[in-house]
Amino acid sequence: MLVEPGLIENARAGDHGAFNRIVLAYRRRILGTISRLIGRPEDVEDVAQEVFVRLYDSLDQLRSAELFEPWLYRLTVNASYDYLRRARRRSESLMADLSEQQVLAADSLAGSKQQTQEREKARIRDFVNELFGHVTEQDRLLLTLKEVEGLSLKELEKIYRVSENALKVRLFRARQRVLKAYNVAVANGRLP
Amino acid sequence: MSNDDKGLNDLFGRYRTACPDVEAGPRFMPGLWERIDKRRDFWFTFQNLARAAMTASAAICLLFLLLNLLTGPQTRLLPPTYADALAADHTAEKIYYTEAVRSSNDERERAPQ
Repeated sequence: MLVEPGLIENARAGDHGAFNRIVLAYRRRILGTISRLIGRPEDVEDVAQEVFVRLYDSLDQLRSAELFEPWLYRLTVNASYDYLRRARRRSESLMADLSEQQVLAADSLAGSKQQTQEREKARIRDFVNELFGHVTEQDRLLLTLKEVEGLSLKELEKIYRVSENALKVRLFRARQRVLKAYNVAVANGRLP
Repeated sequence: MSNDDKGLNDLFGRYRTACPDVEAGPRFMPGLWERIDKRRDFWFTFQNLARAAMTASAAICLLFLLLNLLTGPQTRLLPPTYADALAADHTAEKIYYTEAVRSSNDERERAPQ
């Protein structure tokens, strides 16, 4: 844990200073996780703020300070899920156009090494986002936590409060779907 | 592990690198507290409204109770006891029972020959 259990207890008792210190301790980790969960750096800060607002609202429901980290991850997953659902509701074509525009804008810039790397990273993010479009938002989040964040099944079990076997089955199915979409993309020569 | 699986794992690794570790901007903490305060204000207003509505309904209940107590027993809608209700009910006295009287002639007319 990044903070002492006593600090969490103080925050639960309504100590704003303690809550501030918790946010400062976990901010970087949560921002990184959200960045990989949603794949859109421009919206990461907004989703992270939502996570900490929900934490503030629900801190009194936390049974024990030891459960704090899985609890925080759960809030992160839920806020990211809400974001992805809202994003999917937007027009797909609009998102595709926007992405294309971003690529064109990046192309128009002078091709320094750093800019080339940024462009490459944006292509990878867009490609993986496209692959994740073949599974539900829940499966996308689960797969990202396992495959990209590197969380163990035990950790996922605590976050999702679901048995390890159920998680394994769900992960396997989601991975198979993404793999199928990946193979199609490779066959079409679209691998970034 | 197949080549496809390796390729996908490699892609996930590249995706991890491609998703930057976002640093919080200088407006992160003030923005967070603004959101918390906004939500708290909303709940505060909601709680106040709910409390006002509850007080108003309690006052209306008390008012009706007082009105009911102050008015005389004759004007009350319902009699206080079942015995009073029976005593007050005169409907049985107003009912006239009639018996159907059939003349023997009619019966004879209908009888089969």
